[in-house]
Amino acid sequence: MKKVLLIGEGARENVLAEALGTSEEGYRVFALSSYKNPGINEIVMKTNGEYLIGNINSVEEVRRAIKQVNPDFGVIGPEEPLFHGIADEFRKEGIPVVGPNADGAMIEKSKVWMRELMWKYEIPGRLRFRYFNNMQEAAKFILEYGGSVAVKPAEQVGGRGVKVVADLQAYLSEEKRSALSKGVENVASLVKGDVKILIEEKVDGPEYTLHVLTDGKSYLPLPLAQDYKNAYEDGIGPETGGMGSISGPDYLLPFINREEFDKSFEIVRKTADAIAKEVKQAYVGILSGQMMLTAIWGPTIIEYYSRLGDPETSAIIPRITSDFGRTLELLATSHLNKAKIEINEKPSIVKAVAPLGYPLDKNMATGHTIWLDLPRMREIGCNVYFGSISQEGGKLITKGSRALEITVVDDYDKAVEKLDRCFSLISSDTKLIFRHDIGRTISQQEEKAEIVRFSYKSRESKGILGVSADWSPNGGLW
Amino acid sequence: MAGILGVYAFDKIWNISKFLYYGIIGLQHRGYSRSGISTLSDKGFFTISGDSAPEDLELPEIQGWAGVAYTGLEKKYPYTTDYGVLSIDGVVKTDLNELSKKLYKDPETALMEADGVFSLVFLSKDGRMIGYRDELGVKPLEIGGFGFDLAILSSETPGISVIGGELKREIKPGELVYIDSYSVSYKRLKESSSSRYCSIDIVYQSRIDSYVFDGNIYDIRVRIGEQLAEERKIEGDVVIGVPDTAIPYAIGYSRKSGIPFSLGFTRTGSPIRTMLASDDFLKVIGVQLKLNPIKSAVKGKRVILIDDSMVTGRTLKNTIFNLRVLGAKEVHVLIGSPKLIAKCPYGMQVPEEKELIAANLPDNEITKVMGADSIYWLSLEGLYKVVGHRNLCVGCMTNLFPKW
Repeated sequence: MKKVLLIGEGARENVLAEALGTSEEGYRVFALSSYKNPGINEIVMKTNGEYLIGNINSVEEVRRAIKQVNPDFGVIGPEEPLFHGIADEFRKEGIPVVGPNADGAMIEKSKVWMRELMWKYEIPGRLRFRYFNNMQEAAKFILEYGGSVAVKPAEQVGGRGVKVVADLQAYLSEEKRSALSKGVENVASLVKGDVKILIEEKVDGPEYTLHVLTDGKSYLPLPLAQDYKNAYEDGIGPETGGMGSISGPDYLLPFINREEFDKSFEIVRKTADAIAKEVKQAYVGILSGQMMLTAIWGPTIIEYYSRLGDPETSAIIPRITSDFGRTLELLATSHLNKAKIEINEKPSIVKAVAPLGYPLDKNMATGHTIWLDLPRMREIGCNVYFGSISQEGGKLITKGSRALEITVVDDYDKAVEKLDRCFSLISSDTKLIFRHDIGRTISQQEEKAEIVRFSYKSRESKGILGVSADWSPNGGLW
Repeated sequence: MAGILGVYAFDKIWNISKFLYYGIIGLQHRGYSRSGISTLSDKGFFTISGDSAPEDLELPEIQGWAGVAYTGLEKKYPYTTDYGVLSIDGVVKTDLNELSKKLYKDPETALMEADGVFSLVFLSKDGRMIGYRDELGVKPLEIGGFGFDLAILSSETPGISVIGGELKREIKPGELVYIDSYSVSYKRLKESSSSRYCSIDIVYQSRIDSYVFDGNIYDIRVRIGEQLAEERKIEGDVVIGVPDTAIPYAIGYSRKSGIPFSLGFTRTGSPIRTMLASDDFLKVIGVQLKLNPIKSAVKGKRVILIDDSMVTGRTLKNTIFNLRVLGAKEVHVLIGSPKLIAKCPYGMQVPEEKELIAANLPDNEITKVMGADSIYWLSLEGLYKVVGHRNLCVGCMTNLFPKW
């Protein structure tokens, strides 16, 4: 019986644990998490593995776990352990693992590194950017340059801090720029490294994520997914890691066509090759393009993940009908050419549930009890994945972030209806935050896509794909 | 009749005063004789208001991360109390101090008990925003967002779009929306067997770039023109719409009939919505100033003239006279709404029956008074057909009101 060691504790890792736990290979699933995730625990128990609690970002603690478990391969879920060189550690110990080394994970960790790589290797879908160590300079840039900008922390900080402002109303330009320049301090405070702020040209269009499995020789794309970033109902309010997602039907989304899928795949492949050249080492793991269909480029990279997206994973993996656990092993051991993926053509919808306070006040969102009627929810057809919630005694206690992700694989209208029924079976001692609109606004997205498609197709025919610039009297040309 | 607006920033680095200022300018077509803006900051509420259109408000440097605004005919809004600030479109039959206090303490009960036909935006002094649309849905109310930063409540789409926001959806009739830093949530407090969207909002009041009552106003008005062409075939040389509201009607009539559309008028000064003008003198000079006919567009032609509505008929009479002076051979009048015969109890500026020409005279008399060759109103069935349903308040056209 092969053993697998899974690193991480969120809903994404719950999904991965399930894929490993239901594989025909009969893996024994071991997990290292910072707290006991009830969903992962269920699978660890069922497969006769073991649940280790520890710091998933500590090289020493992971090494200890590897020695203790002696796994046949490893799977790293979140990005932070990758940044800390946890994949390097597995490989040093001679254990194959899903996840790039720290060098390769730079594609996600440093947005400046990512943008420079895309420009150096002339990868399509790249945006103009500037970066700043000095906050005064960043604020000055925002105040002086014309055009719409996105202000981001230069590092991956868990999907926080992004400020996006379309400066299309000259009469509000000053207000928007003033708020943005004030926001710079805030954004910079999230960043540990020297380069604090990344400023990119702002683009608009429907967003989607393409995940690609690669061992450096083969590339296997997963079905597209879209995540919903705004915290509150109807796509209003602060940025989150994602309050839900959709995937399908088939490999596409209703608003992304096959040609756009192929172009997106090409962009991610080229990037994986560029990373390998740059760090002189194959990229083994998952490279995910967080993309947007834009008028400037068509498929465009907003950012990269060096792992599976969360909550996109909960939308995608439950649609895979082939043995995904086995695929993960083939990926870790660089035999991806032997893997194939079969999917349920029906789409899926995921909705996340968070305690009141998320994402602005973690303390407020921590320490609450949640109850759910799991058997009844499963009966209705809902897959329940546990996220930022720990099993303490007989209780489920929130840890401050998104506590649950609920997936239904079915046609969109049927899926939303089943989700509504499942949500009536969840209760808490605090108010719960979730979005009713996920999966209900497909036609709006289709319209948005259609509009940008006119523009980028026209640019393509004129040979001006990707050509853009801003000019302002004080700032000059950018 | 009024435009109401609420802007809420989730991050206090925003100063939203100018968002309110420009947003409410985007709603001033709903009434402009009185306007105001109220913002909330650490120092409490700051309000400016005056007897002017929003664009003429003098906006000092004020701070605030949330606020409400009003443009319309009422002097009292934005209405500030110890509990918060309130803007209302419509008529609420509850004491406003009492309502404000109740909204602060228990918004659901307050709105369950509030009697009237209205949409409202309330911002409490401790930074919670409430929007509500009455169960008949007579008055519109929409919600929009701006990136990760703002939530916007607005009577109509332009209040959202002119500040760079994105329309999310309409608030449903009887639905409460609650906004604070940590959540946006909705609750349907009251449900009516069917909605009663305001017909005047559709045929006249809403802006043509609005999406209101589940429909694009521009498309509906072009279809009204097409419907008129189906109901009333006229031998004419040119179709002219009275600016600005009736221009889409004229475009629709022209498309359907094949008779060319022409701009028959040019505008003097800033656009004045004559139906909204509080004083009769302004109504008359407003139209005459607004509508200076273009001689070459009408001379020697059989003119089909389309207007959105007819109240006293006086402005239209002058318009027809002016067209004749410039050499129009025939003037056939089409009205893009059914006859107005009753005063609106819900705050829309439809005057009393005695002032309404269509309530007092038969068609042949009106034609004579107008000095027109013929006159025709859109049928009620035609209006229903164009809108696509019968969930309309047509009280001012039938004297049958859904409430009171």
